[in-house]
Amino acid sequence: MFPHLRITNYQLQVHGAGVRLDLYAALQAVINGLLTGALYALIGMGLALIFGVMRIVNFAHGAFMMLGMYATYVLFTRTGVSPYVLFMVAGILLFAAGYVIYFGLLRPIHGQSDFMQILLTLGIGLIATDGVLLVFGADYHQINFPLLGKNLHFGQHLNVNAPWVVSFVIAVVLALTLYLFVMRTMTGRAARAIAQNRYAAPLMGINVFRVQAISFALGVAAAGVAGGLLLPVFYIYPQVGDQFTLKAFVIVVLGGMESIVGAALAGLVLGVVESLTSLYWGNEWALAVDFVIFLLVLSLKPSGIFGRQRA
Amino acid sequence: MKRSHLLAALVVFILSLLVPAVVQTDYVLQILFRIYLFAALGLAWNLVGGYAGQLSLGHSAYFGAGAYSLALFSGRLGVSPWIAALMGVAVALACALLIGGVSFRLRGPYFVLATIAFAEVLRLIAKNLPEVTGGDVGVQVPALFHGNVNRAFYWAAVGLTAVAFATTVAISRARFGYYLMAIREDEDTALSVGIGAAKNKLAALLISAVLTALAGALYGSLFLYIVPDQVLALDVSNEIAIVAMLGGAGTILGPVVGSVVLESAAELFKNFFKEAHLLIYGVLLVVVVLFLPEGIIGTLGALLRRRALLGGIKASARGVTGD
Repeated sequence: MFPHLRITNYQLQVHGAGVRLDLYAALQAVINGLLTGALYALIGMGLALIFGVMRIVNFAHGAFMMLGMYATYVLFTRTGVSPYVLFMVAGILLFAAGYVIYFGLLRPIHGQSDFMQILLTLGIGLIATDGVLLVFGADYHQINFPLLGKNLHFGQHLNVNAPWVVSFVIAVVLALTLYLFVMRTMTGRAARAIAQNRYAAPLMGINVFRVQAISFALGVAAAGVAGGLLLPVFYIYPQVGDQFTLKAFVIVVLGGMESIVGAALAGLVLGVVESLTSLYWGNEWALAVDFVIFLLVLSLKPSGIFGRQRA
Repeated sequence: MKRSHLLAALVVFILSLLVPAVVQTDYVLQILFRIYLFAALGLAWNLVGGYAGQLSLGHSAYFGAGAYSLALFSGRLGVSPWIAALMGVAVALACALLIGGVSFRLRGPYFVLATIAFAEVLRLIAKNLPEVTGGDVGVQVPALFHGNVNRAFYWAAVGLTAVAFATTVAISRARFGYYLMAIREDEDTALSVGIGAAKNKLAALLISAVLTALAGALYGSLFLYIVPDQVLALDVSNEIAIVAMLGGAGTILGPVVGSVVLESAAELFKNFFKEAHLLIYGVLLVVVVLFLPEGIIGTLGALLRRRALLGGIKASARGVTGD
């Protein structure tokens, strides 16, 4: 019934099924997946804060990531400073943008249905994407700096590209910082209080609009920072963020909505799943697998993989 | 809707059919085709998004199903084009059953996300199975009309809009339409008075999918060639929803007005902004949400009602004071 399994020379051969799995290739794919996944985690945590905790349905999340990428790109081409410094500037710019967008556009429709938020943020995303298209054109760009050519080798078979490692480390540090912010600071506590009960929170003296603005801006900044960290290892073009909007929602739903930690884990899982899908089925199916998983989770376990059951 | 309104609609329909007698340029006819096509699409979307209040951002699935079925059933299996278009309707119905079956159990943003995810899966399948669908290279679509093509397609789009309009009028006056509106206003209350929410929402989606698939077949056949990123793109879903929301979701006339405004604006913008013409959609979305949440028709209707109400109050006040 089961195909005969035999492990030889670190290679797992499945007789009968005719499939040959190379353990090293799989391990390499998992490592690559984790490296991408850390950036997904950061983007997902940003949306978890905006959508999961603040209940703002942000369909412009990928566009904000794209803006972070372009901000870093423009600064890099003008100044030549390393993108690993400039991503912070992008984060600050995106934080400011998020704050202004919250008070200028989102607060006026406060209390209206989710659909209005969806349409508004969809509009903001289209304006951002096509605004960038108008200014920078539709061309693909890629930046070049010395670190790009460097590879780190582990043993004979495994190696990773140095900029991915640097981005990974920074993303992990930022994810931890964001987690600590939400769990330990007064603003973070206030945000979670609003998530628990948005009517009782103002009675406890919480300025709901200010906390929502800060949370929204932080979530947008997280997406922007992730964009800056993706710049060294990704092509940049105006529609680059489009697929990340949906991916971010996939991550938040997988992670169980309110959970920042869940989103981080879900980001890593999604990175690994995509990487393994690319290895065995081909790169072009990775996104389709994302959506199928998403639909399965939505219909079978809406509380997410890492989330608690919601009442 | 009053009898005089229906008469006006009939007059507009007949005048629309006569337009090709005056307008001879292909360019103008193609723009008018697009306006009517998206009016029909907006009306179809409106049944689900407007009356039933279920914001679908995945209508490209049915649009693409219509276009691709026409191309594949006719091109690969040799079925005659009109039969292939009808098979496209069947495929779209199957998609709607699947999508509705899963998505209608979800509410709010989750429903929206599920519709998008389904449409995206279809697009990726069309992209990634080149042996079947032609992949990114695309596939040829057979011509549904011969001879004076632009005029024929224009008439077909007008006809489809008329069908969609008549369907909307019929539904808005029927018990079914009131069920849908009750579900939109408060699903739990609707359920508690015995309205089968799932069944009625699905019925609305099926009707919507039929009309959308036919529009997709028309669109594909006019261009004679389709690629996944054109007919199965999220941009198509967004455009359909924007047309209906701009004109006024849940109103009979809204999608038609929305299509006239959006498609004309988009055509003007294309000349100025070239590939960045989606900018106008973004701006319109933000404007609609902030200033016209009920759309053009919805807001106009509210204004007229308020004026009528104020007029009535003034008249009765005059009656009381006696001047």
